[in-house]
Amino acid sequence: MNSAVQTLLIGLRTTISNIRANKQTFLISVMTIAISVGILGVFLIVFFNLNGLLASWNQHVQVVVYLGDDISPSQKSDLKDLFKANAKIQSTEEVSKERAWQEFKLQQRDSADLDLGFNPLPASYRIRFNTSENRSLHISEFAEQIRGEPGVESVEYGEKWIVRFEKFMIVCRVFLLGVGVLLSLGLILIVSNTIRLSIYSRQDEIELMLLIGATPRFVKIPFLLEGVLQGLSGSLLSLGLMGAIYIYLKNEFQPSLESIARGMDFQFISQPFLWTLVGLSVLIGFVASYISTYQFMQALNKR
Amino acid sequence: MIQLFNVVKNYGSGKPALNDVSLKIDKGEFVFLTGPSGAGKTTILKILFGWERFDEGQVLVQGINVGKLDAGNIHTLRRSTGVIFQDYKLLPNKTVFENVAFAQEVTNHDRKKIKFKTWEALKNVGLTPKKDSFPAQLSGGEQQRVAIARAMVNTPPIILADEPTGNLDQEISAEILKLFEEMNQNGATIVFATHSQDILRPGKHRVIVLNRGEVVSS
Repeated sequence: MNSAVQTLLIGLRTTISNIRANKQTFLISVMTIAISVGILGVFLIVFFNLNGLLASWNQHVQVVVYLGDDISPSQKSDLKDLFKANAKIQSTEEVSKERAWQEFKLQQRDSADLDLGFNPLPASYRIRFNTSENRSLHISEFAEQIRGEPGVESVEYGEKWIVRFEKFMIVCRVFLLGVGVLLSLGLILIVSNTIRLSIYSRQDEIELMLLIGATPRFVKIPFLLEGVLQGLSGSLLSLGLMGAIYIYLKNEFQPSLESIARGMDFQFISQPFLWTLVGLSVLIGFVASYISTYQFMQALNKR
Repeated sequence: MIQLFNVVKNYGSGKPALNDVSLKIDKGEFVFLTGPSGAGKTTILKILFGWERFDEGQVLVQGINVGKLDAGNIHTLRRSTGVIFQDYKLLPNKTVFENVAFAQEVTNHDRKKIKFKTWEALKNVGLTPKKDSFPAQLSGGEQQRVAIARAMVNTPPIILADEPTGNLDQEISAEILKLFEEMNQNGATIVFATHSQDILRPGKHRVIVLNRGEVVSS
Protein backbone atom coordinates (compact mmCIF):
# COMPACT_ATOMS: atom_id res chain seq x y z
CA MET A 1 0.00 0.00 0.00
CA ASN A 2 1.11 3.53 -0.74
CA SER A 3 2.80 5.08 2.32
CA ALA A 4 0.68 8.26 2.21
CA VAL A 5 -2.52 6.19 2.17
CA GLN A 6 -1.17 4.08 5.01
CA THR A 7 -0.32 7.19 7.04
CA LEU A 8 -3.86 8.45 6.43
CA LEU A 9 -5.39 5.13 7.49
CA ILE A 10 -3.31 5.00 10.66
CA GLY A 11 -4.27 8.64 11.25
CA LEU A 12 -7.95 7.77 10.84
CA ARG A 13 -7.64 4.90 13.30
CA THR A 14 -5.98 7.22 15.80
CA THR A 15 -8.67 9.84 15.16
CA ILE A 16 -11.42 7.36 15.97
CA SER A 17 -9.66 6.32 19.14
CA ASN A 18 -9.13 10.04 20.03
CA ILE A 19 -12.85 10.65 19.56
CA ARG A 20 -13.74 7.60 21.68
CA ALA A 21 -11.45 8.83 24.44
CA ASN A 22 -12.90 12.36 24.37
CA LYS A 23 -16.49 11.62 23.34
CA GLN A 24 -18.03 14.39 25.39
CA THR A 25 -15.79 17.21 24.15
CA PHE A 26 -16.17 15.96 20.59
CA LEU A 27 -19.97 15.96 20.90
CA ILE A 28 -20.02 19.42 22.49
CA SER A 29 -17.91 20.74 19.64
CA VAL A 30 -20.11 19.06 17.01
CA MET A 31 -23.23 20.51 18.65
CA THR A 32 -21.68 23.99 18.74
CA ILE A 33 -20.86 23.75 15.05
CA ALA A 34 -24.36 22.43 14.34
CA ILE A 35 -25.97 25.35 16.20
CA SER A 36 -23.76 27.92 14.46
CA VAL A 37 -24.37 26.42 11.02
CA GLY A 38 -28.06 26.32 11.97
CA ILE A 39 -28.07 30.05 12.77
CA LEU A 40 -26.32 30.81 9.50
CA GLY A 41 -28.64 28.44 7.67
CA VAL A 42 -31.79 30.07 9.06
CA PHE A 43 -30.50 33.48 7.97
CA LEU A 44 -29.75 32.04 4.53
CA ILE A 45 -33.25 30.55 4.26
CA VAL A 46 -34.80 33.91 5.22
CA PHE A 47 -32.53 35.64 2.73
CA PHE A 48 -33.36 33.24 -0.11
CA ASN A 49 -37.06 33.55 0.51
CA LEU A 50 -36.94 37.35 0.66
CA ASN A 51 -34.98 37.21 -2.59
CA GLY A 52 -37.66 34.94 -4.00
CA LEU A 53 -40.33 37.39 -2.87
CA LEU A 54 -38.46 40.25 -4.53
CA ALA A 55 -38.13 38.23 -7.73
CA SER A 56 -41.81 37.34 -7.63
CA TRP A 57 -42.78 41.01 -7.15
CA ASN A 58 -40.38 41.98 -9.91
CA GLN A 59 -42.11 39.59 -12.28
CA HIS A 60 -45.42 41.34 -11.66
CA VAL A 61 -44.08 44.83 -12.11
CA GLN A 62 -45.54 46.53 -15.16
CA VAL A 63 -44.99 50.00 -16.56
CA VAL A 64 -48.09 52.13 -16.86
CA VAL A 65 -47.72 54.98 -19.36
CA TYR A 66 -50.45 57.58 -18.71
CA LEU A 67 -51.43 59.63 -21.78
CA GLY A 68 -52.47 63.25 -21.89
CA ASP A 69 -56.09 63.89 -22.85
CA ASP A 70 -54.85 65.97 -25.77
CA ILE A 71 -52.62 63.31 -27.32
CA SER A 72 -52.86 63.29 -31.09
CA PRO A 73 -53.27 60.09 -33.17
CA SER A 74 -49.81 60.58 -34.68
CA GLN A 75 -48.23 60.91 -31.22
CA LYS A 76 -50.05 57.70 -30.21
CA SER A 77 -48.73 55.95 -33.28
CA ASP A 78 -45.16 57.15 -32.52
CA LEU A 79 -45.48 55.69 -29.03
CA LYS A 80 -46.69 52.34 -30.39
CA ASP A 81 -43.69 52.27 -32.76
CA LEU A 82 -41.41 52.87 -29.79
CA PHE A 83 -42.99 49.93 -27.91
CA LYS A 84 -42.62 47.67 -30.92
CA ALA A 85 -38.97 48.61 -31.35
CA ASN A 86 -38.12 47.52 -27.78
CA ALA A 87 -37.30 43.81 -27.85
CA LYS A 88 -37.53 43.52 -24.06
CA ILE A 89 -41.23 44.33 -24.07
CA GLN A 90 -43.40 41.24 -23.80
CA SER A 91 -46.87 42.74 -24.27
CA THR A 92 -48.63 46.09 -24.55
CA GLU A 93 -52.21 46.65 -23.51
CA GLU A 94 -54.07 49.83 -24.36
CA VAL A 95 -56.53 51.04 -21.72
CA SER A 96 -58.91 53.73 -22.90
CA LYS A 97 -60.28 56.45 -20.60
CA GLU A 98 -63.63 54.64 -20.61
CA ARG A 99 -62.17 51.24 -19.68
CA ALA A 100 -60.09 52.83 -16.93
CA TRP A 101 -63.22 54.42 -15.51
CA GLN A 102 -65.17 51.14 -15.72
CA GLU A 103 -62.39 49.24 -13.94
CA PHE A 104 -62.17 51.93 -11.28
CA LYS A 105 -65.91 51.81 -10.69
CA LEU A 106 -65.75 48.02 -10.45
CA GLN A 107 -63.05 48.26 -7.80
CA GLN A 108 -64.97 50.91 -5.87
CA ARG A 109 -68.43 49.35 -6.15
CA ASP A 110 -68.93 49.49 -2.36
CA SER A 111 -68.32 53.23 -2.24
CA ALA A 112 -70.99 55.87 -2.51
CA ASP A 113 -72.19 57.33 -5.78
CA LEU A 114 -69.26 57.78 -8.17
CA ASP A 115 -71.10 59.82 -10.78
CA LEU A 116 -68.86 62.91 -11.08
CA GLY A 117 -70.36 64.04 -14.37
CA PHE A 118 -66.99 63.59 -16.11
CA ASN A 119 -64.25 60.96 -16.44
CA PRO A 120 -61.09 62.12 -14.58
CA LEU A 121 -58.97 59.09 -15.49
CA PRO A 122 -56.43 59.24 -18.32
CA ALA A 123 -55.99 56.66 -21.06
CA SER A 124 -52.89 54.50 -20.63
CA TYR A 125 -50.70 51.67 -21.87
CA ARG A 126 -49.88 48.74 -19.57
CA ILE A 127 -46.55 47.33 -20.63
CA ARG A 128 -45.13 43.99 -19.45
CA PHE A 129 -41.51 43.09 -19.87
CA ASN A 130 -39.84 39.77 -20.72
CA THR A 131 -38.20 37.83 -17.87
CA SER A 132 -34.49 38.54 -17.99
CA GLU A 133 -31.58 39.02 -15.64
CA ASN A 134 -31.71 42.81 -15.68
CA ARG A 135 -35.44 43.14 -15.93
CA SER A 136 -35.79 45.96 -13.38
CA LEU A 137 -32.95 47.87 -15.05
CA HIS A 138 -34.63 47.54 -18.44
CA ILE A 139 -37.87 48.76 -16.91
CA SER A 140 -36.33 51.84 -15.34
CA GLU A 141 -34.39 52.65 -18.52
CA PHE A 142 -37.53 52.36 -20.59
CA ALA A 143 -39.52 54.47 -18.10
CA GLU A 144 -36.91 57.24 -18.31
CA GLN A 145 -36.92 57.09 -22.11
CA ILE A 146 -40.68 57.26 -22.46
CA ARG A 147 -41.25 59.92 -19.79
CA GLY A 148 -40.24 62.79 -22.08
CA GLU A 149 -42.19 61.65 -25.16
CA PRO A 150 -44.91 64.00 -26.51
CA GLY A 151 -48.40 62.99 -25.35
CA VAL A 152 -47.09 61.17 -22.25
CA GLU A 153 -48.37 62.64 -19.01
CA SER A 154 -46.60 60.36 -16.54
CA VAL A 155 -45.01 56.95 -16.16
CA GLU A 156 -45.37 54.68 -13.11
CA TYR A 157 -43.84 51.36 -12.27
CA GLY A 158 -43.43 51.21 -8.46
CA GLU A 159 -39.73 52.07 -8.62
CA LYS A 160 -39.57 53.42 -5.08
CA TRP A 161 -40.73 50.08 -3.66
CA ILE A 162 -38.29 48.10 -5.73
CA VAL A 163 -35.34 50.35 -4.94
CA ARG A 164 -36.18 50.26 -1.23
CA PHE A 165 -36.49 46.48 -1.21
CA GLU A 166 -33.28 46.07 -3.19
CA LYS A 167 -31.46 48.26 -0.66
CA PHE A 168 -32.89 46.12 2.12
CA MET A 169 -31.54 43.01 0.39
CA ILE A 170 -28.06 44.58 0.21
CA VAL A 171 -28.23 45.24 3.97
CA CYS A 172 -29.32 41.60 4.41
CA ARG A 173 -26.32 40.40 2.41
CA VAL A 174 -23.88 42.48 4.50
CA PHE A 175 -25.55 41.28 7.68
CA LEU A 176 -25.30 37.64 6.56
CA LEU A 177 -21.65 38.08 5.70
CA GLY A 178 -20.97 39.70 9.08
CA VAL A 179 -22.80 36.97 10.98
CA GLY A 180 -20.98 34.34 8.91
CA VAL A 181 -17.55 35.83 9.65
CA LEU A 182 -18.30 36.22 13.39
CA LEU A 183 -19.66 32.69 13.71
CA SER A 184 -16.69 31.29 11.78
CA LEU A 185 -14.21 33.04 14.08
CA GLY A 186 -16.11 31.81 17.15
CA LEU A 187 -16.13 28.28 15.77
CA ILE A 188 -12.40 28.36 15.05
CA LEU A 189 -11.81 29.27 18.71
CA ILE A 190 -14.13 26.55 20.01
CA VAL A 191 -12.88 23.77 17.73
CA SER A 192 -9.24 24.68 18.29
CA ASN A 193 -9.82 24.44 22.04
CA THR A 194 -11.48 21.04 21.67
CA ILE A 195 -8.58 19.80 19.59
CA ARG A 196 -6.16 21.25 22.12
CA LEU A 197 -7.86 19.21 24.84
CA SER A 198 -7.57 16.16 22.62
CA ILE A 199 -3.87 16.88 22.08
CA TYR A 200 -3.17 17.36 25.78
CA SER A 201 -4.99 14.16 26.66
CA ARG A 202 -2.55 12.33 24.36
CA GLN A 203 0.52 14.42 25.06
CA ASP A 204 2.59 11.45 26.28
CA GLU A 205 1.69 9.48 23.19
CA ILE A 206 2.61 12.36 20.89
CA GLU A 207 5.94 12.87 22.62
CA LEU A 208 6.65 9.18 22.33
CA MET A 209 5.69 9.20 18.65
CA LEU A 210 8.19 11.98 18.04
CA LEU A 211 10.84 10.23 20.14
CA ILE A 212 10.62 7.07 18.08
CA GLY A 213 10.86 8.87 14.78
CA ALA A 214 7.36 9.93 13.72
CA THR A 215 7.27 12.78 11.22
CA PRO A 216 5.39 15.95 12.26
CA ARG A 217 2.87 15.13 9.52
CA PHE A 218 2.20 11.71 11.04
CA VAL A 219 1.54 13.33 14.42
CA LYS A 220 -0.68 16.08 13.03
CA ILE A 221 -2.88 14.02 10.70
CA PRO A 222 -5.16 12.44 13.37
CA PHE A 223 -5.90 15.83 14.92
CA LEU A 224 -6.49 17.49 11.56
CA LEU A 225 -8.87 14.67 10.66
CA GLU A 226 -10.62 15.11 13.99
CA GLY A 227 -11.20 18.81 13.25
CA VAL A 228 -12.43 18.01 9.76
CA LEU A 229 -14.77 15.32 11.15
CA GLN A 230 -16.14 17.78 13.70
CA GLY A 231 -16.88 20.31 10.97
CA LEU A 232 -18.42 17.71 8.69
CA SER A 233 -20.62 16.07 11.33
CA GLY A 234 -21.71 19.42 12.78
CA SER A 235 -22.77 20.83 9.43
CA LEU A 236 -24.46 17.63 8.23
CA LEU A 237 -26.36 17.30 11.50
CA SER A 238 -27.51 20.90 11.30
CA LEU A 239 -28.47 20.82 7.62
CA GLY A 240 -30.27 17.50 8.10
CA LEU A 241 -32.34 18.95 10.93
CA MET A 242 -33.05 22.13 8.98
CA GLY A 243 -34.06 20.06 5.96
CA ALA A 244 -36.56 18.13 8.07
CA ILE A 245 -37.99 21.34 9.57
CA TYR A 246 -38.16 22.87 6.07
CA ILE A 247 -40.17 19.93 4.69
CA TYR A 248 -42.58 20.19 7.62
CA LEU A 249 -43.01 23.96 7.23
CA LYS A 250 -43.41 23.70 3.47
CA ASN A 251 -46.16 21.13 3.82
CA GLU A 252 -47.93 23.20 6.47
CA PHE A 253 -47.55 26.74 5.22
CA GLN A 254 -46.92 26.70 1.45
CA PRO A 255 -50.61 27.37 0.60
CA SER A 256 -50.72 30.43 2.89
CA LEU A 257 -47.46 31.69 1.40
CA GLU A 258 -48.82 31.38 -2.10
CA SER A 259 -51.77 33.53 -1.14
CA ILE A 260 -49.40 36.25 0.16
CA ALA A 261 -47.06 36.21 -2.84
CA ARG A 262 -48.51 34.77 -6.02
CA GLY A 263 -46.49 31.84 -7.38
CA MET A 264 -43.83 32.10 -4.72
CA ASP A 265 -42.30 28.83 -3.59
CA PHE A 266 -40.94 28.41 -0.03
CA GLN A 267 -37.26 27.78 -0.72
CA PHE A 268 -34.54 25.87 1.14
CA ILE A 269 -30.86 26.86 0.93
CA SER A 270 -29.77 26.46 -2.69
CA GLN A 271 -27.42 23.60 -3.44
CA PRO A 272 -24.25 25.65 -4.06
CA PHE A 273 -24.79 27.41 -0.72
CA LEU A 274 -25.50 24.09 0.95
CA TRP A 275 -22.15 22.72 -0.20
CA THR A 276 -20.50 26.01 0.69
CA LEU A 277 -21.82 25.68 4.26
CA VAL A 278 -20.53 22.11 4.54
CA GLY A 279 -17.21 23.13 2.98
CA LEU A 280 -16.93 26.14 5.28
CA SER A 281 -17.51 23.97 8.37
CA VAL A 282 -14.93 21.45 7.22
CA LEU A 283 -12.48 24.27 6.52
CA ILE A 284 -13.13 25.78 9.95
CA GLY A 285 -12.50 22.37 11.55
CA PHE A 286 -9.29 21.99 9.60
CA VAL A 287 -8.00 25.51 10.30
CA ALA A 288 -8.86 25.27 14.00
CA SER A 289 -7.10 21.93 14.46
CA TYR A 290 -4.17 23.12 12.36
CA ILE A 291 -3.73 26.12 14.68
CA SER A 292 -3.80 23.87 17.77
CA THR A 293 -1.39 21.25 16.43
CA TYR A 294 0.93 23.92 15.06
CA GLN A 295 1.05 25.71 18.43
CA PHE A 296 1.65 22.42 20.26
CA MET A 297 4.45 21.36 17.95
CA GLN A 298 6.04 24.80 18.18
CA ALA A 299 5.99 24.57 21.97
CA LEU A 300 7.62 21.12 21.79
CA ASN A 301 10.30 22.32 19.40
CA LYS A 302 11.20 25.28 21.58
CA ARG A 303 12.37 22.98 24.37
CA MET B 1 29.53 6.52 14.59
CA ILE B 2 29.00 9.10 17.36
CA GLN B 3 31.19 12.15 17.80
CA LEU B 4 30.84 15.14 20.10
CA PHE B 5 33.14 18.14 19.60
CA ASN B 6 33.40 20.72 22.40
CA VAL B 7 29.71 20.55 23.20
CA VAL B 8 28.31 23.12 25.63
CA LYS B 9 24.78 23.03 26.97
CA ASN B 10 23.32 25.61 29.34
CA TYR B 11 19.94 25.30 31.03
CA GLY B 12 20.02 28.63 32.79
CA SER B 13 22.48 31.15 34.04
CA GLY B 14 24.25 28.67 36.37
CA LYS B 15 27.01 26.21 35.58
CA PRO B 16 26.65 24.56 32.16
CA ALA B 17 25.03 21.10 32.11
CA LEU B 18 27.72 20.13 29.59
CA ASN B 19 30.97 22.01 29.44
CA ASP B 20 33.22 21.49 26.44
CA VAL B 21 32.43 17.79 26.11
CA SER B 22 34.23 15.90 23.35
CA LEU B 23 34.00 12.16 22.85
CA LYS B 24 33.96 9.51 20.18
CA ILE B 25 32.10 6.19 20.12
CA ASP B 26 32.88 3.75 17.35
CA LYS B 27 30.47 1.63 15.38
CA GLY B 28 29.52 -1.56 17.23
CA GLU B 29 30.93 -0.33 20.53
CA PHE B 30 29.23 -0.85 23.92
CA VAL B 31 29.89 2.19 26.09
CA PHE B 32 28.77 3.01 29.59
CA LEU B 33 28.17 6.65 30.49
CA THR B 34 28.49 7.05 34.20
CA GLY B 35 28.77 9.69 36.85
CA PRO B 36 26.76 11.10 39.75
CA SER B 37 23.34 12.67 39.34
CA GLY B 38 23.59 15.94 37.42
CA ALA B 39 26.81 14.83 35.71
CA GLY B 40 25.24 15.29 32.26
CA LYS B 41 24.56 11.66 31.24
CA THR B 42 20.90 12.21 30.33
CA THR B 43 21.70 15.51 28.63
CA ILE B 44 24.22 13.80 26.34
CA LEU B 45 21.69 11.10 25.44
CA LYS B 46 18.96 13.67 24.80
CA ILE B 47 21.30 15.60 22.52
CA LEU B 48 22.19 12.39 20.67
CA PHE B 49 18.58 11.75 19.66
CA GLY B 50 17.73 15.40 19.09
CA TRP B 51 15.42 15.91 22.08
CA GLU B 52 17.57 18.73 23.43
CA ARG B 53 19.43 21.41 21.54
CA PHE B 54 22.99 22.37 22.49
CA ASP B 55 24.50 25.82 22.61
CA GLU B 56 28.00 25.29 21.28
CA GLY B 57 30.06 22.63 19.54
CA GLN B 58 29.14 19.99 17.03
CA VAL B 59 27.51 16.56 17.25
CA LEU B 60 27.71 13.92 14.54
CA VAL B 61 25.62 10.75 14.71
CA GLN B 62 26.11 8.36 11.81
CA GLY B 63 27.44 11.27 9.82
CA ILE B 64 24.33 13.37 10.51
CA ASN B 65 25.10 16.84 11.83
CA VAL B 66 22.56 16.94 14.67
CA GLY B 67 22.80 20.70 15.13
CA LYS B 68 21.60 21.27 11.57
CA LEU B 69 18.42 19.23 11.96
CA ASP B 70 15.07 20.94 12.45
CA ALA B 71 11.57 19.78 13.40
CA GLY B 72 10.89 18.75 9.82
CA ASN B 73 13.78 16.28 9.47
CA ILE B 74 14.79 15.30 13.01
CA HIS B 75 12.90 12.01 12.51
CA THR B 76 15.69 10.80 10.22
CA LEU B 77 18.05 10.82 13.22
CA ARG B 78 15.49 9.33 15.61
CA ARG B 79 14.71 6.46 13.26
CA SER B 80 18.32 5.34 13.44
CA THR B 81 18.37 5.40 17.26
CA GLY B 82 16.41 3.25 19.68
CA VAL B 83 15.90 4.97 23.01
CA ILE B 84 15.18 3.31 26.36
CA PHE B 85 14.19 5.32 29.41
CA GLN B 86 14.37 4.68 33.10
CA ASP B 87 10.60 5.26 33.40
CA TYR B 88 9.95 3.00 30.37
CA LYS B 89 7.55 5.47 28.70
CA LEU B 90 5.03 2.80 27.79
CA LEU B 91 1.52 3.79 26.74
CA PRO B 92 -0.79 2.60 29.52
CA ASN B 93 -3.85 2.12 27.30
CA LYS B 94 -2.02 -0.14 24.82
CA THR B 95 -1.14 -3.80 25.27
CA VAL B 96 2.44 -5.06 25.26
CA PHE B 97 2.07 -6.04 21.62
CA GLU B 98 0.56 -2.67 20.66
CA ASN B 99 3.28 -0.77 22.51
CA VAL B 100 5.98 -2.52 20.52
CA ALA B 101 4.04 -2.37 17.24
CA PHE B 102 3.51 1.37 17.79
CA ALA B 103 7.21 2.02 17.12
CA GLN B 104 6.84 0.52 13.66
CA GLU B 105 3.51 2.16 12.84
CA VAL B 106 5.04 5.59 13.11
CA THR B 107 7.76 4.60 10.67
CA ASN B 108 5.23 3.25 8.17
CA HIS B 109 5.72 -0.48 7.87
CA ASP B 110 3.03 -2.62 6.39
CA ARG B 111 0.76 -4.49 8.77
CA LYS B 112 2.08 -8.00 8.09
CA LYS B 113 5.63 -6.85 8.63
CA ILE B 114 4.63 -5.04 11.82
CA LYS B 115 3.08 -8.24 13.24
CA PHE B 116 6.06 -10.36 12.31
CA LYS B 117 8.69 -7.98 13.64
CA THR B 118 6.77 -7.25 16.85
CA TRP B 119 6.42 -10.95 17.52
CA GLU B 120 10.11 -11.43 16.90
CA ALA B 121 11.11 -8.56 19.22
CA LEU B 122 8.85 -9.89 21.98
CA LYS B 123 10.35 -13.34 21.53
CA ASN B 124 13.86 -11.88 21.89
CA VAL B 125 13.00 -10.33 25.24
CA GLY B 126 10.98 -13.37 26.36
CA LEU B 127 7.62 -11.63 26.57
CA THR B 128 5.41 -13.44 24.06
CA PRO B 129 3.21 -14.94 26.82
CA LYS B 130 2.47 -11.40 28.03
CA LYS B 131 1.69 -9.87 24.66
CA ASP B 132 -1.93 -9.04 25.55
CA SER B 133 -1.17 -7.63 28.99
CA PHE B 134 -1.26 -3.93 29.73
CA PRO B 135 1.82 -2.23 31.24
CA ALA B 136 0.16 -1.86 34.64
CA GLN B 137 -0.16 -5.65 34.82
CA LEU B 138 3.62 -6.14 34.40
CA SER B 139 6.53 -6.03 36.83
CA GLY B 140 9.21 -3.31 36.48
CA GLY B 141 11.60 -5.72 34.79
CA GLU B 142 8.93 -6.82 32.33
CA GLN B 143 8.02 -3.24 31.53
CA GLN B 144 11.65 -2.46 30.84
CA ARG B 145 11.84 -5.48 28.55
CA VAL B 146 8.84 -4.14 26.63
CA ALA B 147 10.66 -0.83 26.27
CA ILE B 148 13.74 -2.67 25.02
CA ALA B 149 11.63 -4.64 22.54
CA ARG B 150 10.15 -1.36 21.32
CA ALA B 151 13.62 0.16 20.90
CA MET B 152 15.02 -2.85 19.05
CA VAL B 153 12.01 -3.66 16.87
CA ASN B 154 13.14 -1.36 14.07
CA THR B 155 16.69 -2.73 14.38
CA PRO B 156 18.29 0.69 14.76
CA PRO B 157 22.09 0.83 14.49
CA ILE B 158 22.33 2.82 17.75
CA ILE B 159 20.67 2.09 21.09
CA LEU B 160 20.64 4.81 23.74
CA ALA B 161 19.62 3.71 27.21
CA ASP B 162 19.06 6.16 30.04
CA GLU B 163 19.39 4.35 33.38
CA PRO B 164 17.44 1.35 32.07
CA THR B 165 18.12 -0.62 35.25
CA GLY B 166 17.62 2.29 37.64
CA ASN B 167 14.39 0.92 39.10
CA LEU B 168 15.26 -2.75 39.00
CA ASP B 169 16.89 -5.16 41.44
CA GLN B 170 20.32 -6.66 40.79
CA GLU B 171 19.11 -9.94 39.34
CA ILE B 172 16.71 -8.33 36.88
CA SER B 173 19.32 -5.69 36.04
CA ALA B 174 21.71 -8.45 35.04
CA GLU B 175 19.05 -9.94 32.73
CA ILE B 176 18.41 -6.57 31.16
CA LEU B 177 22.11 -5.98 30.66
CA LYS B 178 22.32 -9.34 28.94
CA LEU B 179 19.67 -8.20 26.45
CA PHE B 180 21.77 -5.13 25.64
CA GLU B 181 24.84 -7.28 25.15
CA GLU B 182 22.90 -9.49 22.75
CA MET B 183 21.83 -6.43 20.76
CA ASN B 184 25.46 -5.31 20.72
CA GLN B 185 26.57 -8.72 19.47
CA ASN B 186 24.00 -8.33 16.69
CA GLY B 187 25.80 -5.19 15.59
CA ALA B 188 24.11 -2.34 17.46
CA THR B 189 26.18 0.45 19.02
CA ILE B 190 25.09 0.80 22.65
CA VAL B 191 25.36 3.90 24.84
CA PHE B 192 24.22 2.88 28.30
CA ALA B 193 23.91 5.58 30.96
CA THR B 194 24.04 4.28 34.52
CA HIS B 195 25.32 5.19 37.95
CA SER B 196 25.12 1.59 39.19
CA GLN B 197 28.54 0.24 40.13
CA ASP B 198 27.16 -3.33 39.99
CA ILE B 199 26.51 -2.93 36.30
CA LEU B 200 29.97 -1.48 35.65
CA ARG B 201 31.93 -3.93 37.85
CA PRO B 202 32.55 -6.71 35.29
CA GLY B 203 34.61 -4.17 33.29
CA LYS B 204 33.87 -5.73 29.92
CA HIS B 205 33.01 -2.42 28.21
CA ARG B 206 34.46 1.06 27.89
CA VAL B 207 33.29 3.48 30.58
CA ILE B 208 33.02 7.24 30.05
CA VAL B 209 32.92 9.05 33.37
CA LEU B 210 31.24 12.43 33.61
CA ASN B 211 31.21 14.88 36.47
CA ARG B 212 29.47 18.26 36.58
CA GLY B 213 29.11 18.35 32.81
CA GLU B 214 32.67 17.44 32.01
CA VAL B 215 34.31 14.23 30.79
CA VAL B 216 36.56 12.99 33.59
CA SER B 217 37.78 9.87 31.87
CA SER B 218 36.96 7.95 28.73
